[in-house]
This record gives sequence, C-alpha cells and structure tokens, in this order.
Amino acid sequence: MSRPLYRWAYLATAVVLGGIFVYAASSKLVDPRPFVTIIWNYRLLPPGAVNGVAIFLPWLELLVGFGLIVGVRRRAAALWATALLVGFTAALLVNAVRGLDVACGCFSTSSEDTNNAWLLALRDLPMLAAAAWLWLFPPRAVEAPLEPTSRD
Amino acid sequence: MPERRARAARAPAGPTTHRMVTFPTVSRSLLRDALLYLIAALVLGAGANLVPARHLAWWGQGLQPPTVGVDFQWIDAFAADALRSALPDTVFVDTRTPEQHAKRRVPGAVQLAYTDLAHELTPALESRLRDASAVVIYGASQETDVEQLLAQELHGRGLAPPHVLVSGFDAWELSGLETAGETP
Repeated sequence: MSRPLYRWAYLATAVVLGGIFVYAASSKLVDPRPFVTIIWNYRLLPPGAVNGVAIFLPWLELLVGFGLIVGVRRRAAALWATALLVGFTAALLVNAVRGLDVACGCFSTSSEDTNNAWLLALRDLPMLAAAAWLWLFPPRAVEAPLEPTSRD
Repeated sequence: MPERRARAARAPAGPTTHRMVTFPTVSRSLLRDALLYLIAALVLGAGANLVPARHLAWWGQGLQPPTVGVDFQWIDAFAADALRSALPDTVFVDTRTPEQHAKRRVPGAVQLAYTDLAHELTPALESRLRDASAVVIYGASQETDVEQLLAQELHGRGLAPPHVLVSGFDAWELSGLETAGETP
C-alpha cells in the first residue's frame, strides 16, 4: 500500500472506530444508572466496584473515541481502545460460556441490544483488530528519506 | 517513481537497515499518554458524578439491583390484558423508543424512557401513575433490565411495586392482544 493511501486508511479507520466509541458512550453518559444494572448483571465485578465502573468507564470511552477521531495522542487512544475491547469481549465470552443471558450494554443502556453473547463477542472482533492495528502500525510521523544519507 | 520504489525496496537490505521500521508497541511515552487518558476520564467522571440528578454512590453501596417481589412483580401478557379489562385505570408504561411507541403499542400506553426520566416523568405523569390501580411496564423483548430499574425507581418514589411484562411487547404482540398506533 502506498504511503498516502496507508495514511488515509489509517485515518478513516481511526475516525470510524472513534465514532463507534463516542456513540457507545453517549447513552451511558446521559444517565449511568441503567448501566449500573447492566454491569451488575454481568456478575463479574465485586458489588463495590460496579458503580465505579459505571461512573468512569463511559467517560473513558468518550475520551478514547474523541482521541481517535481528533488525533490527540491517537496511539494511546488506540491502546485504550484495544484494552477496552479485550475487556468487553472477555466479559461477553465469560457469560456466553456460563450461559448467562445478559443485556449487552454495548451501545446503549436499553434492553433492546442483541443478546446472543457469542454473536456480540464476534461483533467485537473486527473492532478489536482495527484498534490493535491503529495501536501497533501507525504511519510514520516523519517520512524517512528514501535515499541513503551520507551518514550510512 | 518506479525507480524510487525500487530503491526503497532495496534500502532495508543495504547498509541502512537501522532505518527499518520498528514497531514501538508500548513505549514509555505511550504509557504516559495512556495514563493521561485515564486521569482525564477519572476527573471527568468524578466531576459528572457530583451532579445530583445523576449521582451514584462511589463504591456501589447506594444501589441494589431491583428485586422481584420487592421492587416489581412479574406479569405475563394475558394477565396484563386481564388487568387492563378488570381495572380500567391500569397504566401501561412503554420504555421502547418513541418511534417504536408511535408505530405499535399497548392501547393507552405512555412512553417513558428510563434514560430521560428527569424530563419525561413530569409531576402530572407521576401523580397519574401514583393514582393508577396498577402500573405495567414493558420493554421490547425478553430483556427487562431497564424495566426493572424503572420499576425500582417508581417504587422508590412511593408507588406500589409496578408490574413488569415478561418478554415485553414481543409477548404482547405474539399473544395476539390488541395494539394501537400507526400500524395497528
């Protein structure tokens, strides 16, 4: 892939993934209380930590989304996106294996999110791949000279 | 251009190998940036949690999950329909989106999204729910987390424990019960 094309693909992926994160965060930010129940229903966290996750996680999602879109420390945002998606996917998979039917809470605090945990985990994988790519393979900030320099 | 490309392809094999791209996976500066994100999220989250209308207890002690028999009662579609016939001032609360509500709904249902409670639960509506013989909350389908939470909220405001419709509007429709809306 030529370098400008790579840059554009990278930028487009970052904007799309960032948009997904901002969208996912938005409804949880309006009122975090339904999100509390959803986290609770995952039955993964000790009760004391549930509210903390509901208080802070949507903000991290929002910041990561904006970071990816705007490009403020984009690799750090991509690192967080990767970590968050690994966490979300793991949580879904754990409950898929346990056979618990939980509300996803992925994109909304509504009860209408798809509830097949296997499919939800599968849906996370392309996003996870994109996030990991954004983190691991950023276009080089300064193009290296193609000609061997005199120092070589 | 082809010449440049050819040179570029040759370059890594030559004496300039130190310029090959190495992928800095987790550098110190990246970790520092990631930490900045975390700190910003902690600050914003803490700030937002100070707003009284959306405040949550910091360590989760303030919220208990809704409990059947305490905060709400289960009801199935036929029982809910029977309740509607027997007690005409039974109020159905629809937690689905306004579009879904407009399209098809239980006749006479009011739309009330839990996420916008501050705006939608007007004093008039709250007193109507308070005076109703029974309140039946329904969502779209079998997931009833939000409905249970809304029931808990209403119960917390002094209403009798509302009913939550098992399997939501799906069950109502599949049971062939009367609906209203644009496409009845």
